[in-house]
Amino acid sequence: MADLDSLTLFGAVKKRLSWLGQRQEVLAQNIANANTPDYRASDVRPYEFRELVRREQMQINMVRTSGNQIEGQRRAIRDYYEDHTIKPYETTPDGNAVVLEEQMAKVNETAVSHRFTTEIYRKHLGMLKMALGRSGS
Amino acid sequence: MADELLRTLSISGAGMRTQGNRLRVIAENVANANSLATEPGDLPYRRKIITFKNELDRNLGVDTVRVHEIKDDLSAFGQRFDPNHPAADENGYVLTPNVNSLVEMMDMREAQRSYEANLEIVKNAKNMLLSTIDVLRAQ
Repeated sequence: MADLDSLTLFGAVKKRLSWLGQRQEVLAQNIANANTPDYRASDVRPYEFRELVRREQMQINMVRTSGNQIEGQRRAIRDYYEDHTIKPYETTPDGNAVVLEEQMAKVNETAVSHRFTTEIYRKHLGMLKMALGRSGS
Repeated sequence: MADELLRTLSISGAGMRTQGNRLRVIAENVANANSLATEPGDLPYRRKIITFKNELDRNLGVDTVRVHEIKDDLSAFGQRFDPNHPAADENGYVLTPNVNSLVEMMDMREAQRSYEANLEIVKNAKNMLLSTIDVLRAQ
């Protein structure tokens, strides 16, 4: 047992936490832009089973292959796909489609999920310790 | 993952900063709601409008919100009959600023709500970071 990630549950927890972290970032962006004209809310695609088995990175940045090329815009690499909300609940006259209440609900959902996931991690680690013969929680 | 949560804090910080700027503009409008001209032909205070935009922050690598521009509201001025005022025209009318204090109050409330929402995100992200750190604690 060299690597805890090779245990399915730990791998799942790790990916789930990174998904939740990215979602929190996207939601923060939506809320920060709650008054920006023509801004549309986006959200991370739902976390599904296939995310567990996916191995490759999703995004790539532009690369310079010779010194004469101009470097493209470099964005932070994100692991999960994001979509704009297709049918927003309401759009203000200036074209902004962020519903603050909806975003806050999602933020809370993310926080609860995060708590849940870290709790699972802790429990699982406790079980391993118990199996090893030390007092686990 | 911690990286994403730390970026969340920066994004919300940018949101709070722009809402603070908005509040500054509103304060300016309200404070000048009665700033009239001093000579005939001069114009009174013109209401200012703030607009936001979402732009790439090159250090962070993510889009953050910032102030786009602060423009003048070009709507018509009000008029008041006050022949004794130094800025009154030949008919006795004085131009008054195009500031509607009710509109400003509504704007202020909205800025306040948006600010609170951003603040809530900061609290939430902080709690998530703390609960991740809690995993490290001895069991």
